Amino acid sequence: MNVCVFIPTAAEPWPENATLYQPLKEDQILLSDCASSLAVQAYLRMCGLPVQVVCRANAEYMSPSGKIPFIHVGNQVVSELGPIVQFTKAKGHSLSDGLDDVQRAEMKAYMELVNNMLLTAELFIQWCDDATAAEISRPRYSSPYSWPLNNILAYQKQWEVRRKMNAIGWGGKTLEQVYEDVSQCCQALSQRLGTQPYFFSKQPTELDALVFGHLFTIITTRLTSGELAERIKGFSNLLSFCRRIEQTYFEDKTKNTKLSKFV
Amino acid sequence: MGTVHARSLDPLPMQGPELGVQPDDIEAPGIEQEPKQEVLENRNVVVQQVHIDGLGRTKEDLLTYEIADVFRAKSLIDVMKKSHEARQKLLRLGIFRKVEVLIDTSRGEGALPNGLDVTFEVTELRRLTGSYNTMVGNNEGSMVLGLKLPNALGRAEKLTFQFSYGTKETSYGLSFFKPQPGNFERNISLNLYKVMGQFPWSSLRETDRGVSAELTFPMWKTSQTLKWEGVWRELGCLARTPSFAIRKESGHTLKSSLSHAMVIDTRNSSILPRRGGLLRIHQELAGFTGGDVSFLKEDFEIQLNKSLFWDSVLSASLWSGLVLPIGDKPTSIADRFYLGGPTSIRGFSMYSVGPQSEGDYLGGEAYWAGGLHLYTPLPFRPAKGGFGDLFRTHFFLNAGNLCNLNYGEGPKAHLKKLAECVRWSYGLGVLLRLGNIARLELNYCIPMGVQSGDRICDGVQFGAGIRFL
Repeated sequence: MNVCVFIPTAAEPWPENATLYQPLKEDQILLSDCASSLAVQAYLRMCGLPVQVVCRANAEYMSPSGKIPFIHVGNQVVSELGPIVQFTKAKGHSLSDGLDDVQRAEMKAYMELVNNMLLTAELFIQWCDDATAAEISRPRYSSPYSWPLNNILAYQKQWEVRRKMNAIGWGGKTLEQVYEDVSQCCQALSQRLGTQPYFFSKQPTELDALVFGHLFTIITTRLTSGELAERIKGFSNLLSFCRRIEQTYFEDKTKNTKLSKFV
Repeated sequence: MGTVHARSLDPLPMQGPELGVQPDDIEAPGIEQEPKQEVLENRNVVVQQVHIDGLGRTKEDLLTYEIADVFRAKSLIDVMKKSHEARQKLLRLGIFRKVEVLIDTSRGEGALPNGLDVTFEVTELRRLTGSYNTMVGNNEGSMVLGLKLPNALGRAEKLTFQFSYGTKETSYGLSFFKPQPGNFERNISLNLYKVMGQFPWSSLRETDRGVSAELTFPMWKTSQTLKWEGVWRELGCLARTPSFAIRKESGHTLKSSLSHAMVIDTRNSSILPRRGGLLRIHQELAGFTGGDVSFLKEDFEIQLNKSLFWDSVLSASLWSGLVLPIGDKPTSIADRFYLGGPTSIRGFSMYSVGPQSEGDYLGGEAYWAGGLHLYTPLPFRPAKGGFGDLFRTHFFLNAGNLCNLNYGEGPKAHLKKLAECVRWSYGLGVLLRLGNIARLELNYCIPMGVQSGDRICDGVQFGAGIRFL
């Protein structure tokens, strides 16, 4: 993960006008960015920190790390869930304070698992599966730009992701293998969750926010094939986990409008 | 006019391989008295043949336009003048290293008694030439490496590749230039380039990749340029913590614009002129031919110079410009105007005037700037007639303003806004002229009318550039 290093100046209170930036919701945002953005939103809601979501076509380029999402709080800009968690902690808001060292290590390990498996699988399906890339990812990614810049940027992005996949050894994988990886990841998450409401019993942590962000986005997003969502739907406790978080933290404001945001 | 000899006609003053026409160059041939030879001055002559020796790659049809006038000469003086002009034209094509002219009486069959043959002995430039030079831009230096095919297709087409590495900008570009045969001022050029620039006053980094096509032609006393340009611009933050306003500008835009420029230049030199004026009008319409940036930009520059007593020159200039966004998108930071610095309003830091956010200057949609200079030779005129002539002292008064316009307010409100809070400065300095293209200045400036947020440079300021207010 590309971590943005920052030094919190002082524990100033959380301002009212904190903003979260992400790409255009209707036409542009892709599954992986949507999942990451939802994870951060869930985390901030769990912390009780209000944030206004702003969609901008150039969100990716505005972000200090080049990754979605990032938040603008006071005069500071922080991107991605990991650094945002540290940032809120410096401001006195934390979800994992109640955990002991073993639990914290376990939480970090599961977060790594989600990032390495689910996020990478999302990127793989978006950019390395030719059908998805041609029908969904490239047109959506480049929708704010005019010809021929749209093609240049879309292929540039695709090339960049494919190069990254090759670097981490995913280059030779087939779609079926990736689905299998997702199943295994969900299997591990499902076992860890068991019958608890959250991963670490009664209180949600950043792991819950991250898992929710990814799983909820996957099951509510229509791709060229429904296979990815089907794999997750096999784990009923994960589904009810998603529903629980949605009801607890999102229901009041957004209702069910999220279900149709990614076509 | 003295007597001129047909035989021993020495070639006209030979310049080096340098291009460019010097109008003062056409000198009257020397006066000599050698009564033994035939006097041809007033005799009608006929130019029977014109030879061009030494052609390799150059196509002859190109040269026939350049030398056609020689055939029209009726007297020997005329032949010499016309030959000289033809020689200058040939050199201006930029494809010959050397051109020599030889005028002789016609010989052989069909030779008329008053017939003349003119021979141009040319030496072509190499097929590929390389160059290395250093350049001064607007307060930045750069090193330029170039490769040139001076006569790519045989008709004075130039293909140039240039790489320039500078303190603020690094660029490379490929350009193709083709003049119309017989009319060098009418030409087209096609360019392909990439420019990477850093603008610390805005904490901004910009990478432009573009193509452009340009048509230049003379019209009455003006030079007109029509241009289409397509640029993919990538903006990013230069510093780790730029202001959020700069962050918001980050990302990619595609500009496709049509522009027109008109220049009337009657100055005797572009750097430190003694007389004459300059009017440059430039207008650009972006978004009409595609792309995702839409604006209309107008700007002009006027400069008037007048010689006064004791070799001093009074110079007045005025610049102004306006960019109007078309549609609901605001103008991009890359399209706005910037003001301040040693090449515009002296006494202020480079482009550090006007709207800003947390110390990052955002530029303005409208500006004006005026300057009044009195240039004089150095006091006591050291090294007069030599090195000392490259220097001048000057007293200046600069003023200007830059602001954003809210287009709902109407033109009167805009003018009022531009007249409010005018920045101005005065001072004096020494300047050095570098060749005929650049100048360096060292000034003592006193900035006035400073508004909060402006960055000033009170006292000594150094400037280098090619275009000065």
